[in-house]
Amino acid sequence: MASRKSRSPKSSPRRAAKKAPSRAKKPASTKSAPTSRPLVFPSLHESTTSSGLKVVAAERGPLPMVSMRLVIRAGSSTDPAGKHGIADFAARLLRRGTRRMTAEAIDEAVEFVGASLGVGVGEDTLSVAITTPAEHFAQMLEVMGQLVMEPTFPESEVADARERALAQFANDLDEPSVIADRAMVRALWGDHPYGHDVSGSTKTVSTFTRDDAVRYHQERLGPKVAMLVVVGAVDPMKVAQAAEKAFAGWAGGPDAPMVIPALARVVGAGRVVVVDKPDQTQSQVRLGGPGYRMGHEDYFPATAMNIALGGGFTSRLMNEVRVNRGLTYSIGCWFDAMNAAGIFALSTFTKTESTREIIDVSLGEITKVRDSGIKPGELRDAQTYMSGLYPLRTETNESIAHSIADMRLNGLGDDWVEKFRDRLRAVTPKQVSAVARKYCFAEAPAVVVLGKADAVKKQLRGLGPITVVPASEYE
Amino acid sequence: MRKASPKSAPARAADPALKSLFEVHEATLPNGLQVRLLPNRQAPVVSLYTFFNVGSRNERPGITGISHLFEHMMFNGAKKYGPKMFDKTLEANGGSSNAYTSHDMTVYYDDFASDALETVLDLESDRMRSLRISQDMLTSEREVVKEERRVRTDNDIGGMMDEELGTLVYKAHAYRWPVIGWMADIDAISREDCQTYFRTYYAPNNAMLYIAGDIDPKKTLALVRRYYGDIPRGPAPLPVINAEPEQRGERRSTVRHPAQSPAVMIGYRGPAARDEDTLALDVAQYVLTKGEGSRLTRSLVYEQKLVVGVGLDWSWRIDPGTVLFFLELKPDSDPQKAEAALYAELEKLARDGITERELQKALNNLRSDHLRELGTNNGRAHAMGNYEALLGDWRHVLTLPSAYAAVTSEKVKAAAAKYLIPERRSVVTLLPAPSEA
Repeated sequence: MASRKSRSPKSSPRRAAKKAPSRAKKPASTKSAPTSRPLVFPSLHESTTSSGLKVVAAERGPLPMVSMRLVIRAGSSTDPAGKHGIADFAARLLRRGTRRMTAEAIDEAVEFVGASLGVGVGEDTLSVAITTPAEHFAQMLEVMGQLVMEPTFPESEVADARERALAQFANDLDEPSVIADRAMVRALWGDHPYGHDVSGSTKTVSTFTRDDAVRYHQERLGPKVAMLVVVGAVDPMKVAQAAEKAFAGWAGGPDAPMVIPALARVVGAGRVVVVDKPDQTQSQVRLGGPGYRMGHEDYFPATAMNIALGGGFTSRLMNEVRVNRGLTYSIGCWFDAMNAAGIFALSTFTKTESTREIIDVSLGEITKVRDSGIKPGELRDAQTYMSGLYPLRTETNESIAHSIADMRLNGLGDDWVEKFRDRLRAVTPKQVSAVARKYCFAEAPAVVVLGKADAVKKQLRGLGPITVVPASEYE
Repeated sequence: MRKASPKSAPARAADPALKSLFEVHEATLPNGLQVRLLPNRQAPVVSLYTFFNVGSRNERPGITGISHLFEHMMFNGAKKYGPKMFDKTLEANGGSSNAYTSHDMTVYYDDFASDALETVLDLESDRMRSLRISQDMLTSEREVVKEERRVRTDNDIGGMMDEELGTLVYKAHAYRWPVIGWMADIDAISREDCQTYFRTYYAPNNAMLYIAGDIDPKKTLALVRRYYGDIPRGPAPLPVINAEPEQRGERRSTVRHPAQSPAVMIGYRGPAARDEDTLALDVAQYVLTKGEGSRLTRSLVYEQKLVVGVGLDWSWRIDPGTVLFFLELKPDSDPQKAEAALYAELEKLARDGITERELQKALNNLRSDHLRELGTNNGRAHAMGNYEALLGDWRHVLTLPSAYAAVTSEKVKAAAAKYLIPERRSVVTLLPAPSEA
């Protein structure tokens, strides 16, 4: 299957990057015309279990399915020094055995009924998510409770997981976009808690022991830094009862989330990193600078600006780089906002010969927006575009559960979804100009190019001091 | 317009959970355009899909990849909405769009705010009626597609292996070449080729329209008639000949490329989508690789520790498709050992079949995945089109769960014994070559 815009090609089951700077979620919403109907967002029912776990439930049909997410403020930013990747490592082991169930029993319990279980770690959170046919939701909640309350981290599973992770780091070296993203994370964040790959590296993971996983679990996971969100065809009263039962006696862990510092400065600003992969015929290009944290007041003007600059098919970058010049298949920029800080980044790729050209054209477009903002018509179009598509985010149980977790964990307010379109439409050209001056690489960006170093290095003169590193640097 | 009754076509019961979701209204315009409308008022958004019955299986050597390149050209200007205006108009009205090309079909979709419906119908009918293919746009778009080929195939190990495997599995059929086409062909496709292609395959009688979401079916059908009604019918496209000869033994090939680990991709010649065996192979796929507790994941990843990951892609196609396995190995792995472990599992499946519990588990998961796919307007419209394009009727959306329920352990065993055998196998092994650093 081939398509007009990147999708993961179906026929190649090589695992995708665990951490690509997430393409800002595809926008979704209604028109700026007064005809737009209000969004239907289900009402939220709250309860707290006797163990202190906050529960938010929303009833929603018509499909007989339920989606639940347990979100714990224990992401990769809480990894101790020297143990980068332990949150992700421990999270993967949760389902490999608990006090009452073996890994096989867990798999069977979940998968037999047609439910699916996913455990994921991001910079700020560890989440356990289960989607299940509605009639099995209470039983699935019990499984979820066991995973976080009483994992046993069997010694043999720890050894196997370590070996698999190390093989994966090696194989990642053959994924150009994964390594370019990894290099960019390091160039942007340096030794900030957000500055390492969620899964760690060969160097750190090879030191992991069972004790490391046990310690992480004891110190970082607990009801006071967790929240359970349940959305789907189930009565909220039943959710509260089932949660009480499933999480009874959960204790320990921190009283409050770890405080992550803001980003002082982008360590690689004004510098160029060339990651050498001599066999490439195409360069992966990344540019990046500082952004803002989740919930920041700049969110709406910056979002509107970014649609015009680098979102959708009609953005300035898409127009100049892809449509007018045929330099790439995919280009975009986005703000990646985490709980404590964020970045602004551009990602694209082009044949080796046009590496410098694509960087110059991209920087030119970003500079134009920094100097002159965007036209009132562009702002209007951006507002209509995103308002029109925004309701798509309220279409599934999963996306609603995501929204609820985001709103609560980042203090966005419970009216976040309902007010989203109004707040976006209230953005003025003046506000856009202000955020453009702030974020459109006012300071020279960090530059990462992955490709054939021999051929690209000489093209990159004048962009800043160049360091050439082998891809194995990011294993 | 007649309101669809969930009887006719597939003689199976509709799933009760789905029946209430699919109040479908159908019509066929005099020019042959088939229309399916599915109202749903849950959110003020609509998804519109256009399926064209053309994909890389309709191509020939010299212009491989034209279906896909042409898909890109469909966004580059028509009579009323010129170059760049399709996306500009759509996005400025609160919509977004994309498309994909497969071996069998070319599929376009728009997601948009419900009050943009008429604008979207105007945009879509304009390009179906009067696409304008300018030499400049073609020149630029060709470069875009070449970058796409570089990122998906030339610089991607999975893509490289997949391309090699296609040429092993198929000797005569057009499935032999990749959907994106060979690089030299992408370079050679001319404006005339595109124009001929448009006239041949983009007529309303070769298209199906699906509109799902916040719509009034009566008013919407009137709009569809107004915008599409005058597009002239085209000639019926020539049928595709399947001249694939019988395979008389295992086929092998090696790809040498700088890589950390070896890897193996294995394809078995499977049945066509409409073949009853397809459903049995779907169940087999779920038993083998769906979930952590699936046979191959448990055996190859967790028990024998021979692979980092194992994937199985069994995609339905109009003509007989490929049951594709992928083994991701460790740097010091012996690919032959991993292969042998996989074959032992497949032999066991063909010899002993599956347990009743495994069967029930597969059915539960097939139904869950089916329901999940139908959770959005976009998913519902796409599913209807996909089943109609491959199986001839959108109602399979309703009856698929009960069709699976008719699969037995015996049928799964028979399908494994029939298809997953060395005589139908093609194997591509990636062997790491030193980098030319």
